[in-house]
Amino acid sequence: MAIQSREGAGVATEIGESILISGSLEGDEDLTVRGRVEGNVRLTRTLIVEASGVVKADVAVKDAVISGVVVGNVTATDSVQITADGRMVGDIAAPRVIIVDGASFRGRVDMGDVDAARHDGAGAKSLPRPAGKASSSAARSTQLARSSARESGRPASPPRPPAGSSAPLPPLMAGAKKRVILKKGKR
Amino acid sequence: MANTVIGSSIVIDGEISGDEDLVIQGTVKGKISLKESLIVAGSGVVEADIDTQNVEVAGKVTGNINASDRVELKSDCRMVGDIKAPRILIADGASFKGNVDMDVGKGR
Repeated sequence: MAIQSREGAGVATEIGESILISGSLEGDEDLTVRGRVEGNVRLTRTLIVEASGVVKADVAVKDAVISGVVVGNVTATDSVQITADGRMVGDIAAPRVIIVDGASFRGRVDMGDVDAARHDGAGAKSLPRPAGKASSSAARSTQLARSSARESGRPASPPRPPAGSSAPLPPLMAGAKKRVILKKGKR
Repeated sequence: MANTVIGSSIVIDGEISGDEDLVIQGTVKGKISLKESLIVAGSGVVEADIDTQNVEVAGKVTGNINASDRVELKSDCRMVGDIKAPRILIADGASFKGNVDMDVGKGR
């Protein structure tokens, strides 16, 4: 009976390989998953999905380290890391997203700050004259992209480049889109 | 080996199943079915129907227990529900309300 050493709130919860939990799981401590968890996971600390672990759930945590399989959306207040063994399908929202070489991932990445920067840059200048058509169609396309990505892990999007470079992709795409709009406007 | 531990701050609402020992220090509501032992530690709270081989209760359990081997209620535990198992141990100091069924009379 390996009861973990207790150090205040630093107790670790472990879900062993043969265990299946379906439902909602909440807590204020680190959670290590070697088995399966389905449903919802909400923690104020770190979720670690080990190589044998499978999580099919919407996850809201402080940090997530994914070495196993995660299917579902992950929201982290600090960081999400997908290691070389990790496989994930779903959207990530976190200020820090680390995807290492060898990891496999399909979904959106939202680092928050990037969004703010885009609004600052696009806001005042592009609106004055030709705003109507261009910006509304742009807005529609981003909305479409968002909703399709949410519903089914972006089936319509082109194949992704190697995982290592997918984290910084959204800002680049956003920049490209902005430039196109500006050009249309001037003509 | 028990390598599954539900820590004291964890709340699970749903179903847990598996083939290994499980230690609960937190809260579990729903249903638990295991092929091995369930240990409800002193800080553990379980509101669930339990279907396992062995159960050791030191915390609080509300729900029915069906064990294929034995159930042990330790002192300071609180248990409300029915227990069905061939071997049932209730320690001095345990508090328990419910039925006990040891399958008496079925020619064991």
